[in-house]
Order: sequence, then structure tokens, then C-alpha cells
Amino acid sequence: MSEVLHRFAVGDRATAVLLPFTLDALVADWSAVRRAMLRTVPEPFSRSEWAHLVASLDDAALRRPFAETFGEPAEDAVVAALARPRGRIAVWLPNNVSLLGPLTSILLSLCGAPATFKVGSRGDDLMTPWIAFVREHAPDGPLRRWAHDDVELLAVGREDPRCARLAADACARILFGSDEAIAAIERLPHPADAPAFAFGDRRSEVWIEPSEVNDASVRDLVRIFAVFGQAGCTSPRRAVLLGGSPADALALRDDLVQAWPAVERARTAMHIASANVAARQRAAAAGWDAALTADNAATVAAGDAALPVVESPMSLFVCAATHDEAVASAPSNLQTLGHVVADPADPAWLSLVARAGAKRFVPLRAMHHFGPVWDGHAFWRGLFEDVELVA
Amino acid sequence: MTPAVAEAAGLLDLAPFGPRDDARLIGELERLTARHLEGCPEFAAMWPDWEPDGTLAGLPYVHTQVFKHLRLRTTGAGIEHGREITSSATSGGAPSSITLDGASSALQARSTTVILSDFLGDAPRPLVVLDAARSLRSRALTARVAAALALRPLSTDLHVVLAEADDPASLRWDAVARAIEGTDELLVYGFTWMLWLAWGAAALPPEVAEALRRVRVDFVHSGGWKKLEALSVGRERFDAALLATCAPGSRVLDYYGVAEQVGVIFGLCDHGVRHAPAWADVIVRDPWTLEALGPERPGMLQLLNPLALGAPYHSVLTEDVGRLHAGPCPCGREGRTFSLDGRVPKAELRGCANV
Repeated sequence: MSEVLHRFAVGDRATAVLLPFTLDALVADWSAVRRAMLRTVPEPFSRSEWAHLVASLDDAALRRPFAETFGEPAEDAVVAALARPRGRIAVWLPNNVSLLGPLTSILLSLCGAPATFKVGSRGDDLMTPWIAFVREHAPDGPLRRWAHDDVELLAVGREDPRCARLAADACARILFGSDEAIAAIERLPHPADAPAFAFGDRRSEVWIEPSEVNDASVRDLVRIFAVFGQAGCTSPRRAVLLGGSPADALALRDDLVQAWPAVERARTAMHIASANVAARQRAAAAGWDAALTADNAATVAAGDAALPVVESPMSLFVCAATHDEAVASAPSNLQTLGHVVADPADPAWLSLVARAGAKRFVPLRAMHHFGPVWDGHAFWRGLFEDVELVA
Repeated sequence: MTPAVAEAAGLLDLAPFGPRDDARLIGELERLTARHLEGCPEFAAMWPDWEPDGTLAGLPYVHTQVFKHLRLRTTGAGIEHGREITSSATSGGAPSSITLDGASSALQARSTTVILSDFLGDAPRPLVVLDAARSLRSRALTARVAAALALRPLSTDLHVVLAEADDPASLRWDAVARAIEGTDELLVYGFTWMLWLAWGAAALPPEVAEALRRVRVDFVHSGGWKKLEALSVGRERFDAALLATCAPGSRVLDYYGVAEQVGVIFGLCDHGVRHAPAWADVIVRDPWTLEALGPERPGMLQLLNPLALGAPYHSVLTEDVGRLHAGPCPCGREGRTFSLDGRVPKAELRGCANV
């Protein structure tokens, strides 16, 4: 298929984006896949993972990266810049990663570039079944061609020589994993002009104003945390009650413990139940007032903001803090700050969020929403190269 | 001798698998728990509201994962902490670390000797250990070394026969040949996987094979079957291969023990069940409710004994899965019996691979 110019504009400045398809056709293809997704939940996806993917594929969600990056469609605008995909993109995914692979693949499909995904060599791999599903259910069109012809999956260990070739051949690299793993990938020889977007070890938390604690926000917090537990970089390990008291923190802990079984109904895996028994003891030993939810599905603990969070898959910590204490005790690698506050548009948040070092300040319910700007990188924009146009 | 040591030592005077005095054991564990609550602030924080209720199931415990993260110590009169024992961490995670103390170590050594004597007899004989001399000389005490040294009181002399601690191919058969010179009885200890790879599955040099045919060997192994399951080696094949190498009357003893309960081991009898000695007990708990379960219901094993004075490892909740049995065992040993079914199944939680 020939390349198609799409024009987008912010104000009176328009950018022409060169894509190997018409965007409407690609969105329509994804809609067909989405309809097929509504009829099944294939192994090994969990229902919540699949539902999250379905939500990521609605029409507005697919067009949002263009709107946020280049502006609204403006086919008659005078073009001031041209953007074209860089070429093959290499994506490194760690073992047991959840939806980052499929979500990234959706974004990469939108720029039409060929992509190679280095998936985990052990543990669950969601990319392989995801791409198989897309290949099976995409109608004839640009998405099917992209999934069949331009997507490659590489299930090898980090030391495999094919990883070195991948780094050497890619026009852009997207790296997910631990800081240590990313550093190792970065050491592989690569073209000097191939940008890398590294998404390493990150932590997230939620800031809550006590006045906003209610049944709905408690249920939302359980639901958002339980998707990934502490294994998710966008999961809140800590819920900070801004301006609250220790009694408020304890009350929120009790609310969370009580709400948990009604929100999370899936049977708790035995090893998670066991880990939570241990986590409750470790948290208590560290000074937290820790409790187990029904079926030992989670540990929820309340305590001082200065206490260290205990690392355990399904342990959530609640503390009360002033704004300054919240900033001071935030993790140094803070990624997402979920908010449950009365007025998130209040400019006073800007300084706090900046001082805390957060990369995102989003509603609690949107903490897991993956987008074209991640960890402070406009990475999706970086997958295009710019052509300067001077009339 | 402090009262705590005297109380524990008194229980060790009982026949290991004779009539039990459970009320005395529970009373002793409750008194020991109170001492740990007083002397170990982390343990006290875990169990702030505990009151003795005269039941085994009511006794507080420490989950074994806690020992991977915290160095628990109980301070008190007569307790002098010494070196630490670390678990083998075969599952790839961090090892548990238990702080030992002199008084407890003496009780624990006596306990293992009495238990092993019941299964193996107490006639001393040469002991061959499938480990490297470097491991035994190391200041760091591992569960594997501790297990080997537990057999030392039953031996005349010690032969450490691996050149490299984790390499079964490094077994020095000349050292084995020297160990069996002039004896017709031998003790051999190794971790289960090591005993299989180094001896059971190995081709013995002809001169060693010939010499072993006249030696009655008691093979003793511990450490679990996880690695051998991957090789599809079951107990029957394992035992048969080992016993084929030596004289009639030879035996294989598989025992279960954890670093977090050093001093008490649970031997597997000829009828396929494991026995707790009179100074120890076992509870099976439901992983989701922590309810103490009755016979034949599978759950997480909680192990208890009063031989841990310097840290609260007198009662530990393990990630080993098993079930209690009811009724007497045909082997004649009295007391609590149980089976070990395996480990809590593991699966990583999917996320961003940051945990």
C-alpha cells in the first residue's frame, strides 16, 4: 500500500504525518478485532487484563495519540512540518510482564513501523497469544498486513546473539525491565542515531484527601491495586492521606480490608495467601499496623509515612501525611501519582507533583492507562523523525 | 543451666517416639513463646495480643519467609548468640538466616542425635559426606553442612568426598575406597539430588563397586525432591539404585527438616510416613484461613519445638504442604505422623517485572 499523508494541526501549525495506511482503515480494523475480543478471554489473559485491552481499543483511544501529539485532524491546513516513521522498532519485554507488550503493540501499529518484540524467555508471555489473536481476527486490511508481515516475536534469552542483532538493526529501541536489565541492553552496539526509550524500575502511589474517602473510592483503590499488586509499576504501593490523621489511615485500612472480598472475588493463589501471611508479620515487625483481608488475599497496613514499605506481591500501605511529608517520603523513582482529591485542577498541585518527581498525575482509575507519553518520555512521538519544511 | 534450657532438656529425656506428654510440651512452648515476646521486639510486634490458651494451635508462629528478610534475636539471661545458619534456598530466592546460640545448639545437637539413632542405630561407623571440605571449613554454616554434621556423633571418622561442593562429578571415589577399608558398615549423607547424581546414577569404579558389595550402608538424605522431579526420578528408583551398590541389609533414610527448625528432623519410616519426636509437633494450616486442619486435609506445615531459645524459630509456618495422619503407625513409633506433599506452588505475579 502506498503511503498516505495525514494532516493534524495545533492552532495554525499543521504537521503532515506519513503513514503506510489510512488511519480510518486501521481504526476500523482494530474495531473488528475489538468485537472479536468481546466474545472470549483467551488463555493466559486474566479477565481484568483482557478488559483493559478492550478499553484501549475504542475509537477515541486509538486516535488520542495523534491528537495529543500532532493535534486534531486538519486536512486542509498548510503544512509546516512532516513526520515519518523511523523504521524498524525493537521492543524488549521482561519475563512475566503484563500488558505492556500488547499495549505497546497497539501504539506501534498506529505509526505503521515494523516491530520486533523480544519477549520473555521464561514465565508468562502475553505478546505471543496477543499477536496470534490479532492475526486471526483482523480483517483484510492494514492491521492484518502489519501483524502478519511487519511484527516479529523473538523469544530468546538476554544473552542470545539475536538480541545483539536486534539492537544493531533497530531504528528505535523501547526497553522495559529492571534498571539492571536495561543497562545491559543499552550496552549492545546500536546505531548512533537510534533513540532509546527506557522504562525501568518505577514505583507509584495514590494521594487521597480524607474528604474524598467513600465507598466508591475505596472500591476503586482495591480494584486498581489488585490488578498487578506491587508487581505493577503503575500500582499504588502506598495510599497517602493528605492532611489526614493516623486514625484516618487506620480507618481507611479497615475500609480496604472490608471492601476487598466484595471487589476481588477471584480465588487467591496459595502462594499469594502465604506471602501475605509473611508480609503481615514483616510489616508488623517494621512498625506498621497490618491486617490480612479475607482469604489472606492481601495485606493492608497503616502507619507512619516514614516507615519503609514492605515488598510483597499483594501488600498495600496506608499512611497519613502533610503535603510536605508526602513529597519527602515519596519514592525516588516515583512514576504515577494517582489522585483522589476534590480539585485536581488546582494549580497548587503542580508544584507538589513536580517536587515529588512524579511522571504522571492522573485520577486513581487511570493509573494503569498506558499512553504515548510514558515515564516522562514522549516516546511515541520519538518513533517518528521530523523533516523540516521551509517554503 | 537456665530454667528454659532445663525444661527443654527435660523433654529430650523422653524416648523420641515413645509415649508423648503433649500438655507438658504445650506448656513449655507457651513459656518459651512468652520469653520470645519479651526478648524479641519484632516477634512481639507480630503477636501483640497473644494470650496462652493451652492449645497447640493457639501458639504464635513466624512465617519462614520472614527469616529471609529479618535477623530475629531474642535477648535474655544465659543467651549468647553465635553464628548463623542459612537455608539452601533451592528455589532460587534469598536464603533464610537463623541466629544460633550456644545453649540451643547443644540441645539441638542432642535432639538430632537421638532421632537419628532411633532410625539408624547408635553403633558408630565411618561417615561419608557428599560435600566439599571447603564447605565444612567455611565460617558460614549452611543447612547442608549442619545436616551432615548432625550425623557426626554416630560416626567413627569423617570422609568428605567431593572436590567441588555442587559438582556431583567431582566425587573422589578413592576417598570412598579409603572410608570402607576395614569396615563392613558405613553411613553416607548427601542432599537428595547430590546423592542421586553423585552415587545412585553414577558408574562406580569397579574396585569400589566390588568393595561395597560387602559393606552394609545406611544412606541418609534430605533437602527434598524438587531437582529429581525434574529428572523424573522417584523414590522407588532412587532407593533401588542406591541399594544395588552395597550389601544386603543396607537402608535409605529420607528425612525432612528445615533450617528454620534446626535440631528437629522428621524421618520417613518404612511405612512411608514422617514422625515427629516427643519434643516437637506439627500443625497443618489452611493457607487461606490459617485454621488448624484435621487429619488428611492438606495445608501448610507449622513446625514446633522448644529447642530455640535465642530467636523465635520455635514455631514456624513453612511453605511446605503436607497432611497429618490419624492413628498409630505400623512401624511402632508413637506420636504425630504426617506426609509431605510438596511446596506451595509458585507463580510470579505478572506486572512490570520490578518485584
